Amino acid sequence: MTTPTELHPLADTYVKELRDAARRMPRARRNELLAEIRAHLAETAPAGVSQAEALTALEQLGEPSAILAEQGTDAAAPRRLGGHEIGAILLLMFGGFIVLIGWLGGLVLLWSSDRWTTRDKLIGTFVVPGGYAAAAYALLLISSTSECSGSPGHMTCTGGPTTLGQIGQIVLAIFVLGGPLLSALYLARRAR
Amino acid sequence: MVQPDASSISQLRRGVLEYCVLALLRGNERYSYEIVHALGQVEGLVTTEGTLYPLLSRLRKEQLVSTTWRESDAGPPRRYYRLTAGGEARLATFLSEWIRFRDAVDTLLEGQ
Repeated sequence: MTTPTELHPLADTYVKELRDAARRMPRARRNELLAEIRAHLAETAPAGVSQAEALTALEQLGEPSAILAEQGTDAAAPRRLGGHEIGAILLLMFGGFIVLIGWLGGLVLLWSSDRWTTRDKLIGTFVVPGGYAAAAYALLLISSTSECSGSPGHMTCTGGPTTLGQIGQIVLAIFVLGGPLLSALYLARRAR
Repeated sequence: MVQPDASSISQLRRGVLEYCVLALLRGNERYSYEIVHALGQVEGLVTTEGTLYPLLSRLRKEQLVSTTWRESDAGPPRRYYRLTAGGEARLATFLSEWIRFRDAVDTLLEGQ
C-alpha cells in the first residue's frame, strides 16, 4: 500500500464505526471489506470536501449495519466461544503446570485461531508468559531472594529487603497474579 | 390490496443486482468504485452503495468474476474485476430468463 488518501473526519469516524461493528467477521473478510469501503470513501469523501458533501457520500454508502447485513448472517450473529478458544485460554492460564508443555499448547491454539487479531495474540502470549505456573515460580523466587549463609554467629546475608526492592517485588507479584486472569478475560471477550 | 412490502421490493432488487454487476463487466474490466458508482448513477437501482461491496466479494467467491490488483495514478492500488467464463454463462442464462419474466409481468400489469 502506498500512502492512503486522507479521509474527511466524518468518513474516518464512519470507518471506525464499521470496523467496530464488523468485529465478529472473519478477519480476512473484514479487512477486505474495510479496504474497499476506505477506497470508496477516498473517492467520495476525501479530506477537504465540505461537511455537506461528506454527509451525502456517507448517506449514499449506507449504515454500517446495512452493509454487514448484506455480508451475511454469519457476520452479524454473535458467536459463541469455541472449544478451540476455551482450550487456548485455559492452557495459557494453567497449562504451565503440565511441565510447561501445556502452556506451549495454549500458544499453538492461540496463534492458530482466527478469532483473535495479532495484537490480541501478543497480549495473550506476553501477559504472562507461562501463566500461573510462571506466577507461582516468580513468587517462590521473590520470597527467597534474601538468603543468609555462614555459621551461626557469623552470618552474611545477601539480597536483603530494600524499600525499592520491595516495591518492585509487590509490582511483580501483582503483575504475575493479576496478569493471566485479566489476559484470559480479555481474550474471552475478544473471541466472541 | 395490501401495500407492496418494502422488503419484498428490496429482495427483488437484490436478486437482480448481481446480474447488473455482471452486465457492467461485459467486455471491460472495472475497479470496485467504478462499478459501484456506475450502478449508483442508475435511478432506483441501488439505495445503499456500501451493500455492493459484500456482493462483489460474493461474486468473486462464486468465481463469476476474477480480480487483479493494478497500480493507479491517484492513490493506492485498485482491485479490478473481470467476468469469468462462468460469469458470462450465468449472465447469458439470466438475460433470456429476464426477458421472458419481464415480458410476462408487463403483459399482466398492462392487462389490468
